Amino acid sequence: MTLAPGATERRAGAGPRPLIPALIDAATVEAIAGEAWIALVGEDELLVPVPGELPADTLSAWVDVVGPWTGSVVLTTGRQTAADLTRALLGRTAPELLDHEDVADAYGEIANVVGGNVKAALPGPSQLSLPAVGVAPAVRNPDDVCRVEVLWRGQPLVVSVQGALPPLPHPLSPHENPHPNGASL
Amino acid sequence: MKILVADDSRVMRQIVIRTLRQAGYDDHDIVEAEDGRDAYDKVQAESPDLVLSDWNMPNMSGLECLQALRSAGSGVPFGFVTSEGSPEMREKAAGAGALFLIAKPFTEETFRDALDGVIA
Repeated sequence: MTLAPGATERRAGAGPRPLIPALIDAATVEAIAGEAWIALVGEDELLVPVPGELPADTLSAWVDVVGPWTGSVVLTTGRQTAADLTRALLGRTAPELLDHEDVADAYGEIANVVGGNVKAALPGPSQLSLPAVGVAPAVRNPDDVCRVEVLWRGQPLVVSVQGALPPLPHPLSPHENPHPNGASL
Repeated sequence: MKILVADDSRVMRQIVIRTLRQAGYDDHDIVEAEDGRDAYDKVQAESPDLVLSDWNMPNMSGLECLQALRSAGSGVPFGFVTSEGSPEMREKAAGAGALFLIAKPFTEETFRDALDGVIA
């Protein structure tokens, strides 16, 4: 295992800073995402555990977790699939023409629900950031990643629980943090 | 009965309102707030009978909103609807005076379990 400089000072317990595979497995992440889909997107909206190749034009939504394990819970799918997800969440209230804010709001909220439940399954106490939508944060340590590939309505979607070494900045307090949903799309 | 739904996600506010209706609570007035500060102001202005609030919001979190309301003397029934349903969060919510915490994702049954006895 590789520790970032200073990791010793940051860690809360006596052991080394844990990597995500020691804390959560792909089946749990998949189950969390599946429950979120059924509850938010629709009862018949299953995530099929089959890998698929992401298109070139993708969009990610994520939340950051800061605590004993620090990193991001990132959803990535094709831009068109993100729009389809948004329409599914909005249901009959979906406008004829979606704008970026609609997609950021809906897609970000799915990431928030998946991320919140992943956080609850990890050692705490941790803090969860507000969701962001745009280009996914880079994977910093390939050993600190739990990656789940599924299909939704036949389209590929990736859920990546990925560590941040060195740690991400502590989430800003709500007073300082503008809603990031308008991040670049 | 008037219910204030606070969430910075417009989509999630719609889903909460839709789930309230699916759970059978379909004849109540709904007021929406887009963050904790807006919720605080609308509790003062609209005098709702119940607040359903997200936790993690910009400007003022749901917890800060609840604490501010209690400090200002408001005893409005308050429950969280949040993606963070860990025991630690539930303890914080209860300690601040929340009646319940509904974890996202939720179902209409989850809503009924939490709201029966709270909503007339």
